[in-house]
Amino acid sequence: MNHESAEKITGSARSGGRNVLTEYESKQVLKAYGIPVTREALVHKESEVIPVTADIGYPLVMKVCSAAIAHKTEKGLIRVDIRTDAEALQAFREIKGGLEGQEGGVLIQEMIKGRRELVMGLTRDDQFGPCVMFGLGGIFTEILRDIVFRRAPLTREDAFAMMREIRASGILDAVRGMKAADRERLADMLIGIGQIGIDLARVREIDLNPVILSGKDPVVVDALIVLA
Amino acid sequence: MNQDQGDPSIVVTRASSTDFERIFHPKRVAIAGVSPGGGSGFGTLSFLSLQAMGFEGEIFPVNPKGGEITGLKIYRNMEDIPGRLDLVVVVVAAEDAAAILEAGRKKGAAGAIIITSGFSETGTPEGVAREEEIRRIAAEGIRVIGPNCFGIYCPRSGLTFIPNPDLTRESGPVAFLSQSGGMASDYTNMGMWMGLRFSKVVSFGNGVDLRESELLRYLGDDAETGVISMYVEGIRDGDEFLEALKFAAGKKPVVILKGGLSTAGSRAVVSHTASLGGSRTIWESILRQAGAVQVRDTQEMAQASLAFALLPGKVYRGLSVAGGGGALGIVACDAAEVHGLEVPPLQEAVSKKVASFLPRTGASAVNPIDVANPYTPPAVLENIFRASAQDSRIDLQILMLLPHHFKTFSGLERGWMTFPYEELADRLKTVAAETQKPIVLVMTNTKRGLPDLDVVEVHAKARQTFLKEGIPVFDEIGDALRAIANNNRYYGKGETA
Repeated sequence: MNHESAEKITGSARSGGRNVLTEYESKQVLKAYGIPVTREALVHKESEVIPVTADIGYPLVMKVCSAAIAHKTEKGLIRVDIRTDAEALQAFREIKGGLEGQEGGVLIQEMIKGRRELVMGLTRDDQFGPCVMFGLGGIFTEILRDIVFRRAPLTREDAFAMMREIRASGILDAVRGMKAADRERLADMLIGIGQIGIDLARVREIDLNPVILSGKDPVVVDALIVLA
Repeated sequence: MNQDQGDPSIVVTRASSTDFERIFHPKRVAIAGVSPGGGSGFGTLSFLSLQAMGFEGEIFPVNPKGGEITGLKIYRNMEDIPGRLDLVVVVVAAEDAAAILEAGRKKGAAGAIIITSGFSETGTPEGVAREEEIRRIAAEGIRVIGPNCFGIYCPRSGLTFIPNPDLTRESGPVAFLSQSGGMASDYTNMGMWMGLRFSKVVSFGNGVDLRESELLRYLGDDAETGVISMYVEGIRDGDEFLEALKFAAGKKPVVILKGGLSTAGSRAVVSHTASLGGSRTIWESILRQAGAVQVRDTQEMAQASLAFALLPGKVYRGLSVAGGGGALGIVACDAAEVHGLEVPPLQEAVSKKVASFLPRTGASAVNPIDVANPYTPPAVLENIFRASAQDSRIDLQILMLLPHHFKTFSGLERGWMTFPYEELADRLKTVAAETQKPIVLVMTNTKRGLPDLDVVEVHAKARQTFLKEGIPVFDEIGDALRAIANNNRYYGKGETA
């Protein structure tokens, strides 16, 4: 794990007066801890778009990536299932336009397919310190509230217990033609999130939603890190 | 030297050097704040309660006015008491507490119980300052329980709470920790009739010195304690508490009632994770992580503690349920499923054997077993339970009794005392020991009104008799199943819920 690079990302955001990392920055921190995230690149100029799309490959998702805009879906600054260069360039121009002059770029990322959405996260509890969350993800996370926490650092057994404890734990099994989730990998991710909480005191909250199971492989599709 | 909350090593060092034996089982106790004229002051009540309990050690009442109480000399000063003290009970005014504590420390006391209130709980600068002074003296070598507490109930030594001079001296495996003195007193009283017997009950009030984490570690190691129950509101240090809880729960069952589980505070949160991680959810997760069993109310806590105290420590999944009445059995099966328990149909050979002891009509020998008769003689019940225990899927057996039926018919011909609970207790105990499958009793009393106080009385006597034979008794089938499920939550750690 590369603490220094994670430290550097959070540090530079903080010294820039920000307490929220962009999705791209958040994923860089996660990557430093070996947590699988979408393959993606941040572009600022139209000329950068096609080389990136060629590298990652269609279908793609393009999103606004700006510290000033936390809720990209609500602003309509996200395009999914982009399949051609023309669509990609048009999406770039629309998203860039939506920035209305605010600082930021366009995040181009692989489109992860999978019907099972999980959530992972971290909150710093006043009494217990960094607590890792695991549960059922997607847009109804807060309605279903099928989540559990563990105080960091997590043992491997803690991570496996979390996967057993959610009511919907069955979705991690082989179900309806879908492969059983890679629980070892999920455990690595949960332990890694806890480790971020231990290592980086300035990280106050982490929100990874959704974490999509692409076949058996979990991938962080959207990420938000909030600093203290 | 101040107690540094940030450095756990200090706590550990102090705990290891703390003479808990002299605190819980003192031989020489001073009580400061006893009135020479008797009366109903807390100091006097504290003294009288200790005497009423039959405390065998020496008691030294203290009051600057001197005099005597129940024939005992009241010492004007702590310094006048001859020899070394083990424990000081401080029931003087808040402003005088520090001086008594310091005097007790100089008399070699291992600990002090400060009953007096008027400290940090008042929120006043004077109160906070007084508590700081207590903390300072404690750090110099006397362990403090309190202030603003009810102290300790320890049946083996005879220590008790002020309002409870009538608690039993019979010890048992259940320990209880609580900030609240009222909760400690209520829980202990409730435990008395429910069948709990205690090793140590501590109400630590403001918890200036000894409190949840250190006491958990102590009880975790305490040979007298087999199950720890605990009421928690706030804790001093999350890390320390989690580690202490893990330690204690690693050694014996810990049952926790967490009070004050309101939703997340007013702190503004940005992420969904933080908004989902309210106090309730985090606490539930932390307690589970530590391996403790969380319960929702005092009844559930007492019932779980009873199961832990009386049932051999293992998972009980398959149950046989026997009683007089079909509907009762059906309801029991439904409730069992909710709690992750099974009521499997008995194997054919076993069922046949059971059927041979049942009436030919109206009964069922499948499981639930319907004995079709509320007056089934103990000898027959013994045969049935011996037979049903032969099924390998049965881990534990439940008997649902409705003793009030005996009254219904006593008015018609027989006497009320025909409910033969002594014989039944004896026979059930024999079967349980022989088959190595515990029997749990459910005695539901549907007659509890004024005209039926005789039924209530027989219930109480029967309950006491069964408990004496080590047979757990519950009022309702749901209570029994929930207690067994709580038992399984502890012993089945790591299994899928």
